[in-house]
Amino acid sequence: MPGRAQYDATARPDASMSLLTHLTDNALDAGYAEAAARRQPGQPSRPGWLLAAGLIAVGVLLTTAAAQVRDRAPATAQARAQLSREIEARTAATDALQARVEQLRAAVTRARSDALGLTSTGTRLSAQLAILEAVTGAGAVTGPGLVVRLDDAAKAKQPAAGDARAQATQDQGRVTDRDLQTIVNEVWAAGAEAVSVDGQRLTALSAIRSAGEAILVDFRPLSPPYDIVAIGNAQRMQTGLAEGLGGSYLEVLHGYGITSSIQTRKQVTLPAASGLPVRYASVPGTTGRAP
Amino acid sequence: MIAAIGLVVGIVAGLFLEPTVPLWLQPYLPIAVVAALDAVFGGLRALLDGIFDDKVFVVSFVANVLVAALIVYLGDQLGVGSQLSTGVVVVLGIRIFSNAAAIRRHLFSA
Repeated sequence: MPGRAQYDATARPDASMSLLTHLTDNALDAGYAEAAARRQPGQPSRPGWLLAAGLIAVGVLLTTAAAQVRDRAPATAQARAQLSREIEARTAATDALQARVEQLRAAVTRARSDALGLTSTGTRLSAQLAILEAVTGAGAVTGPGLVVRLDDAAKAKQPAAGDARAQATQDQGRVTDRDLQTIVNEVWAAGAEAVSVDGQRLTALSAIRSAGEAILVDFRPLSPPYDIVAIGNAQRMQTGLAEGLGGSYLEVLHGYGITSSIQTRKQVTLPAASGLPVRYASVPGTTGRAP
Repeated sequence: MIAAIGLVVGIVAGLFLEPTVPLWLQPYLPIAVVAALDAVFGGLRALLDGIFDDKVFVVSFVANVLVAALIVYLGDQLGVGSQLSTGVVVVLGIRIFSNAAAIRRHLFSA
């Protein structure tokens, strides 16, 4: 086809970009050129009222948009600050209630041991109760123990960067609920008799889980560093932890920058668990619910 | 002179009255601003080319803003709002850029 070949030869090199070329070539509204062509040389120019009205509209539009953008940024920051204030207030309220629970529980324990101490059967029951409370976590316990401290990597503590890749490496240096679960299990396996994480006593009903970036133990949010305190034979627990899976796990965590330390203590005190709600389970043979 | 006063009056009015933009109008504000900028840069270039016409400027400004908002509205109704917004921004962005380049050539002859 000769015609086609000829067309190809004369085609503009940028023919495939005709849309872009058109846009750049006709950037100026064609109306201006037409109006200029229509205008007579001797015609008196119109007063600038129309232009002034147009420019008022331009100014209002631009400043409104700018004000809109400016107003929106503090609104999110405000909402955030308010939420964090609310969280702090609620946490403080919970702490106060918790302290009240401890107080009342101590009073109950005192009153109960006083009442039980009156008879020999009562004394025996009281001793049995004390052991049960220690084992289940319903009562505070003290004894020699071990403190395992886990802390986020230094780079994970910096405020979150916008960069997604930086975020990923940052997240790697963060202690997760999984890490705490593993270490706590290893501490139990090494012979611990009672364990708490950051002051939260672990019971048979405790859960270590995460919500967002926070680790929850019994629904209480914790913040790093995390102290796992265990009561038991300190030396045996330390060697058991170092030789078992726990030691190698801590080493793996160290590879991500998570720091850990294990210290033995002559005397540690673990608080009572914040609550042992047994709503459905009951002891077979008894009609009433378990306390 | 009247024009400059008009612009100042507009900016001051916007700053002090702080007109609250109704919620349903808010998605169209950014695109309207881009369209307005396109009209403003076109007007400036025409002024430097010596063919400025106030009627063309005002009409193109109003029409640009309305059409841009209408396109985005239509896109929102059809479910392609963000794509159409991108299209409008690309087209107007190229125009603003080439008009700004023409203004630059006028002002600095470079």
